Amino acid sequence: RRSVHIIMSRRYDSRTTMFSPEGRLFQGEYAMAAISEAGLCVGILAGDGIVLAGEKKVVSEVLDNTGTAEKMYQIDDHIASAVAGITADANILINQTRLVAQRYRYRYQAPMPVEQLIQQICDTKQGYTQYGGLRPFGVSLLYGGWDRHYGFQLMSSDPSGNYAGWKAHSIGAHNQGANSILKQDWVRGHVTGGVQEAGRQGHEQD
Amino acid sequence: IRVWWCSKRVIMGDNIMTYNGGCSVAMVGKDCVAIASDRRFGLRQQTLACDNERIFRINDRTFIALNGLGTDVETFIEKLCFRLNLYKFRESRDIAPRTLGSLVSNMLYEKRFGPYFVEPVIAGLEVDKATGAVTPFVTAQDLIGAPCFPGNFVVGGTCSESLYGMCESLWRPDMEPDDLFETVSQALLASLDRDCLSGWGAVVHVITPDSITTKTLKARMD
Repeated sequence: RRSVHIIMSRRYDSRTTMFSPEGRLFQGEYAMAAISEAGLCVGILAGDGIVLAGEKKVVSEVLDNTGTAEKMYQIDDHIASAVAGITADANILINQTRLVAQRYRYRYQAPMPVEQLIQQICDTKQGYTQYGGLRPFGVSLLYGGWDRHYGFQLMSSDPSGNYAGWKAHSIGAHNQGANSILKQDWVRGHVTGGVQEAGRQGHEQD
Repeated sequence: IRVWWCSKRVIMGDNIMTYNGGCSVAMVGKDCVAIASDRRFGLRQQTLACDNERIFRINDRTFIALNGLGTDVETFIEKLCFRLNLYKFRESRDIAPRTLGSLVSNMLYEKRFGPYFVEPVIAGLEVDKATGAVTPFVTAQDLIGAPCFPGNFVVGGTCSESLYGMCESLWRPDMEPDDLFETVSQALLASLDRDCLSGWGAVVHVITPDSITTKTLKARMD
């Protein structure tokens, strides 16, 4: 009976827009699996700022990676993000995020509030899990930003389109281990020096 | 609903480009450029503001001044900021003056049959990444983006004919920054004073590889 159950669940994962019998969206979970192969990104929120760190995996000695960014992208003057996952997918999302931020800035002549921006991008990501027949984006993002309403904010989003605000978080390879270290060592109100140290520790968990 | 319809002619007068007034000039010096403009904003003969900003700093090496209809100056600079921010984040570098000229020209020509009533004047320093050599650069365009690259000075605004005359007389090659400042200021002020639609002081920026000097000039305040 158990093997039949496994065969049955495979039927629901080729269609991105269908639930499995257990209520899971398998394509989203497979996207997360792709992300868990990517380099670790750590983000920590402090009283006076945010530290975002991304591990660049050296794939080949002959790779010329001086030009384009692989992990870190600036979205606008007040928001930056670290990505983990399929770089090609990340490029699309980052480009869209930049356009969203500029459109808000043009319309309101003010910088876009951080959560609003992430919400809009996550709405796009969610669309790829509900209609269209297209696969989701294989990228998780860690955003660090500031706005005058809520100050410094650290947020992450995943292929399902869910997002959350964090005090400390990591995405990518070995992120469970890094997250448990961050949880243990988290002290409210760390100064920036401590933030960088904790970020380094999180990375060393590989 | 009653709709009030007025022709543009009744509101703006016979020339939409002179409705708000204003002028600017940019000059090339030795490893430096200067860009200057007046500060008047008016509705035909009535002056409304004496602190109008017509020159915009794009980055430490590139400035743009926009003459023409005030509302289009405001909107065009907002649209330009949109494009420039995307350029900055995608290319991870500041835009060069010549590239800005091409971008502005493209944006203006897109509206060929319903243009923005602005005439841009661009000044900046081109930096050769390999050698570090600095080349001063100025360009100006008409309202549909036709550029000119004269190499010495460019002018724009309601007293542009006077400015052409003053610049032709006063400009000479390889002026040092202090000399350039004097020359630009004299050329601008002499032209402003004879134009009722420009005036109420002037602002001058002198851009060198190491610094940007900004000075406000007090002239005939009328």
